[in-house]
Amino acid sequence: MEKNYNLAKWLNNKMTKAELADFEASPDFEKYEKIKNYSAQLKVADFDENSILENVIKHKKTTPKVISIYRNWMYKVAAVLVVGLSMTFLIQNFVTETQYALNGKKTTFSLPDNSEVVLNSGSEIKFKKWNWDNNRTLKLNGEAYFKVAKGKRFEVETNLGKVAVLGTQFNVKARKNRFDITCFEGRVKVNYKDKEIILTHGQSVTFEDGSQLNTLVTNQNPEWIVNQIAFNKEHLRNILDEIQRQYNVSIDVKTKYQDELFTGKIPTDNLDIALKIIASTYHLESIKTESNKIIFEGK
Amino acid sequence: MATDSISETCNELVFSSFFKAHIKPLRNFLFYKYGNEDQAEDLTQEAFIKLWQNCASVPIEKAKSYIYTIANNSSLNEIKHKKVVLQYEKQHSGLDKTNENPEFILEEKQFKTKLLKSIEDLNETQRVAFLMHRIDGKKYSEIAEELNISVKAVEKRMHLALVELRKKIDFIK
Repeated sequence: MEKNYNLAKWLNNKMTKAELADFEASPDFEKYEKIKNYSAQLKVADFDENSILENVIKHKKTTPKVISIYRNWMYKVAAVLVVGLSMTFLIQNFVTETQYALNGKKTTFSLPDNSEVVLNSGSEIKFKKWNWDNNRTLKLNGEAYFKVAKGKRFEVETNLGKVAVLGTQFNVKARKNRFDITCFEGRVKVNYKDKEIILTHGQSVTFEDGSQLNTLVTNQNPEWIVNQIAFNKEHLRNILDEIQRQYNVSIDVKTKYQDELFTGKIPTDNLDIALKIIASTYHLESIKTESNKIIFEGK
Repeated sequence: MATDSISETCNELVFSSFFKAHIKPLRNFLFYKYGNEDQAEDLTQEAFIKLWQNCASVPIEKAKSYIYTIANNSSLNEIKHKKVVLQYEKQHSGLDKTNENPEFILEEKQFKTKLLKSIEDLNETQRVAFLMHRIDGKKYSEIAEELNISVKAVEKRMHLALVELRKKIDFIK
């Protein structure tokens, strides 16, 4: 490297004192100094900057880049929309939909074919919207009332048994070991274990621990739809379970459960009356402790 | 994001202040390179037109390197390089007049003429770097950035330019 470009250093006033002294002593220094001084006096002819600026500004700003950014942006939005929509579509159609009714609540909803379902307290239904018209199957856990639109076979699966219908109104109750099916209109086919029963309107069937009980009903709707629960030869334990679900309360029974079966109606919109009915029927005394806790004691 | 830079360079006030700050050094650079003032002005104008047209995609902090890249990539096919014709600023003879004798003044005048001729004869890279430093008063680092070379390379060009000028001045009669 030639002298480490010391002339460049000197021209840039970056020489050390010693270097400068050395350089100043050299015979060429005078000429370099002149070159440095005179070159600083050089200038270039001026020109009309403003007219150039005018010329430049006169040109239209081209916006291809802007368009491309805009397009990219549009594509992004479009992509997000497409992905989002298809996800929603998939979720809505292929993923199992679940409807709940929490304790103390009822849920009414429509199926894709406009069949109506009313879920009683503490129940859930699972179904798939995809291809619903050809596969009207749903899974019920709890109690629900169905107004089925006419169409293909409509099936309700429970862990106790299966109910299949063709356009009708019926109630299915599958709680613990007790499986109640009431048909209000049309025909309902019930499968329970290896039994198959066809119900016509006004008929009801109950299976409990393998025993079968046929009854007739006169109502147009299940009682719980109009804020009542009808019990037909029901155990006290099951009745209290139902009350706990309907009112979202907890009930403690301090005496031995009695074996007598209860037939009758209990309101689901008035806890005091409901408790009174139970208390007087079974000769118990009901004590409300906190707002959500009830204790039954023997008289 | 992108929208900010679009409005910045495309803003006429921002653009014209950027223009005012860079038009002369850029035009001079092209002049040192090609030795033709008209061509230098045309190329400068073209560089700024391109910047203006693409203002949307060139943020203002990138604008300088954008115009210098265009200038560096420019080429003059039609016109052969001319000699770079320079002149001295006129008022700079004040000192000479008072103190020095006529022979000395004449000598200095001759030296200055020789210097001009020598600069004209420098090769392009040395001439461009040397004049950017001497006329436009740019730092080596600025020159390096604008020519897209290293500072060391600028120093080399400056050094060689001085050595070359020193030699040429002696040869010119």
